[in-house]
Amino acid sequence: MAFNFNWSPLIADTDRVRDMLTTALNKSPKPPIIVDDILVNELNLGSTPPELDILEIGDLAEDRFRGIFKMSYTGDAYLTLKTRVQANPLNTYLSTKPSFASPQPLAASSSLTIPLQITLSDIRLSGFVILVFSKQKGITLVFRNDPLESLKVSSTFDAIPFVRDYLQKTIENQLRVLFMEDLPAIIHKLSLRLFSSEYQVTDLVQPRKSQADLRAHTDPFASLASLDDDGMPLDGNLETPGETYASFSQKNLLRLAALSESQRTLSLFTPRVRDAVYRAWSNASERKDPASGTNTPTHRTTTLSRIQSSLGRHGTGSSATSGSSDAGSHATRPTLPSIASSASLQSLGSSRPHRQRKRKNRVVDLRKKAVQNDNGEVASVASSFEDSESTGGSHSKALSASGTQLTSNVPSNEREGELVTPPRSPKKVGFHAGSKDQQVYAETVRPGSSRRPVTPHQLSSQALEDDDPTPRASMIIADHDDEKKPQRRNLPRMKTLPAKSKSVDLPRTRSDANVPKLGVPFGEGSSGGILEQAWMMKMAHEIANRVAEEKSRGGVWGQASSDDGNGVEAPPAYVS
Amino acid sequence: MLEFMDYVQSAFYAASRWNVDNSYASLTTSNNLLDFRTPHGVRLHVSSLSSPNFATSYTLGSKGVVDGSFSFLFSSLGLQVASKSNDLPLGHLVRGYRHLQELQKPEEGWQWEIWHRGKRIDTRDTLLYGRFYLPTSTLEALYLRRISPTRLFRLNTVLDSSLPSGGTALSQLQNDYGKYSTEYLFSTDAALFGFRGLYNFGYDPRYPEHQPSTRPPSHPWDHQSGRLSVGGELYFSPVNKSGGLSTGLRFTTLPVHTGFPYTMTLTVNPLMGSLNSSYAVKAGRNLALCSRFDFNVYSYESDVSVGLELWKRDLDTAWARSMLRREWQTKVAPVVDDNGFISSDFVERQDDAQGVLKARLGIDGKATVLWETRVKELLVGVGAGFNLRKKDQVLGNVGLEISYSS
Repeated sequence: MAFNFNWSPLIADTDRVRDMLTTALNKSPKPPIIVDDILVNELNLGSTPPELDILEIGDLAEDRFRGIFKMSYTGDAYLTLKTRVQANPLNTYLSTKPSFASPQPLAASSSLTIPLQITLSDIRLSGFVILVFSKQKGITLVFRNDPLESLKVSSTFDAIPFVRDYLQKTIENQLRVLFMEDLPAIIHKLSLRLFSSEYQVTDLVQPRKSQADLRAHTDPFASLASLDDDGMPLDGNLETPGETYASFSQKNLLRLAALSESQRTLSLFTPRVRDAVYRAWSNASERKDPASGTNTPTHRTTTLSRIQSSLGRHGTGSSATSGSSDAGSHATRPTLPSIASSASLQSLGSSRPHRQRKRKNRVVDLRKKAVQNDNGEVASVASSFEDSESTGGSHSKALSASGTQLTSNVPSNEREGELVTPPRSPKKVGFHAGSKDQQVYAETVRPGSSRRPVTPHQLSSQALEDDDPTPRASMIIADHDDEKKPQRRNLPRMKTLPAKSKSVDLPRTRSDANVPKLGVPFGEGSSGGILEQAWMMKMAHEIANRVAEEKSRGGVWGQASSDDGNGVEAPPAYVS
Repeated sequence: MLEFMDYVQSAFYAASRWNVDNSYASLTTSNNLLDFRTPHGVRLHVSSLSSPNFATSYTLGSKGVVDGSFSFLFSSLGLQVASKSNDLPLGHLVRGYRHLQELQKPEEGWQWEIWHRGKRIDTRDTLLYGRFYLPTSTLEALYLRRISPTRLFRLNTVLDSSLPSGGTALSQLQNDYGKYSTEYLFSTDAALFGFRGLYNFGYDPRYPEHQPSTRPPSHPWDHQSGRLSVGGELYFSPVNKSGGLSTGLRFTTLPVHTGFPYTMTLTVNPLMGSLNSSYAVKAGRNLALCSRFDFNVYSYESDVSVGLELWKRDLDTAWARSMLRREWQTKVAPVVDDNGFISSDFVERQDDAQGVLKARLGIDGKATVLWETRVKELLVGVGAGFNLRKKDQVLGNVGLEISYSS
């Protein structure tokens, strides 16, 4: 990968830079020897560009960039300043001293201001530069250390060694301040102007130049280059070593965009970037789920499995026939290892199309392919999309076909096998299938409505609110999160399973679910209308009866109670 | 207006018979009409000379932020000066046109000796002064000692954490032989050495018998009634390898002069090429005028400023006071001792002064106005700065200063 920094357009725009430098130089408190405003008389950036070594690229996209460079500059830039200085050293010396202990000379400290022209040349810079570019926020450039190595100050007073040394010292100090504080502000302002209003202009100028350059220098690749500018990622073009004539803002960004695009889609193709190490590869597991997944695996699994089962009861209300199967599918869940369940929950949470999640996916995709090929489970499948589809299919198949096998470890084993591989992506990609996803989304709302009688608008807003990937402290919303996730996972299976016999572990989950199931409707039903309150009372009686029944009878009660409850409660509009 | 502590210090100088005016540093004191200090913000002084040897002063000021200071002064020499603000002569507090007195013959060393039972028991007069500024935690200290009748040692120190090396000190050794005076300085900051000297032509007070004449001159332009002084200063800092120098010339009329008093000064800085000439005249009892012209031969920078001082007197009783016989005037300045030493600070007993207006105008459009008066028990000063060049912001800083002392 190569960046082409175009040095010459920077030189052209020195007028504005000069103005900004002037304001920046006069902003900070000046040393007492300088008695007038500092005017930047001449500014020439020279013909030698600074050398930049890319140390690290933290973020890359079409509209943003973050990287650390090592910069060294030994160019021929020069800067001429005009100001007026105090030529009497006694005056400057005394002006900084408290008057009480000053000798208070009569006339020896009389001022003599002299116009001074200072030329700064032979600027040697070396330092680490942190460059952050964002289309909205402009360019932020920060020097990590003091970049000024040496500098030659030539002025009107070169003949007087004291004044020369003083000027050299003072100007070096001022320049250090300039580089560390003022220059970032200047560059930021310039970039804001560039990208906000006049971005179009530069955009028009820059590509033309780059095109011309491309045509002139690499004729054989001219057609490829044009394709590249269109945003089509072409492997040959990317691999060719000699095409670094485009400007940084156009071609390379397009190339980088192509890279990120390719990882965003499900295509297997990834343009190769030479000499680059993805940070994501090195610590992908940490970056995978920075938002919600950090503390879940140990803490959430137990609660989630519990809520899952309770929700499963409500969820069956949508289709009364599949109620038992739903319960069955839930029953399998607690048997799974905790890692598997938590992983599936997280993947479900991230299943909706978000940009942040996608970035994560991009990383996981790369790994997942390899791992799954190693597993050989679905090795023949070409794309990751199909891959995950097939795994999802095998799930449902296995679940539907072997009704009673659920209790045995066969399906869970199979699932474990998948989930050892980075667990989120296959399931998530599987949910990208449009119709299924919509279906799922329609039904995810229901558990909320069963729990809390609110309008669908609010529910949808809550559901949307859950899109926020950041972890939140509020328990209710977290509950919603948890509810939805298992629900989603269950629903596809619900359709495929017509009926299922209860297993041995079902009572255990039911007993787990008793507390939330009872507590939640009572607590929140009071907020509804009279009808709902009445219904709630009825429900409470029902549930109490069912609990009593269940305790006496065993495993069968779950279907009946869920049938009753959801038959009343389920809004028909959401039935798929 | 002088701050109370400066007033007490000048009283110490006068009481210890030290002529402040016979120094190159005070060559251009006629510029008091031009370079007066105006208050900035609101400032309140409460001072007291609780005993002849001890004085305290508290200052509270506000210019955006509240700041203040408290200061203490100890003098081994009893200072019998008026200290109550209602009977403090305004003329002693306001530095205006300085009408220089005839040079005095310095005392001999033996005159200070006090023998008691075969031992010398005389001590040297010492003044100690400290001032502490509160928000900035700056400490100012002053040590004055009259080493001998012709010698004064002065040590100024400022302790401030913001200063490099935490503080700075300036020591001065001043010699005043009447005919000429020398001054040696050393500042710890950048190791600055300094020397000042002043030589008075004409009458030598050490040999009164050679005095040419004390008779009134035959015509007002007789230069025999004036005094010509020439002086110079030289500074050098071996650390900075820099220095500075200036020379000066002054002609001033003495009290024997029958015309209106005037002072002319010329200072030259040959290194920097600057010339300052000033002409101050006391046009009447209530009016003094001063003009100054600055010019730099290298940069052609120039400035002209004019100033005036206008006294308001109690006209109702002025005629009665003028009728009083001298012995009957109750408020005789006590600093005029038996030998007839008169400090120019205390020479004008303008008891009937009600207020003084000072104004200054420069060619750069900057004008300053200061009105100082006595309101019942308080001394009040109101000052304002103007910039006539800036149309949008004519009025600069405005200040009010209220002093009370007991």
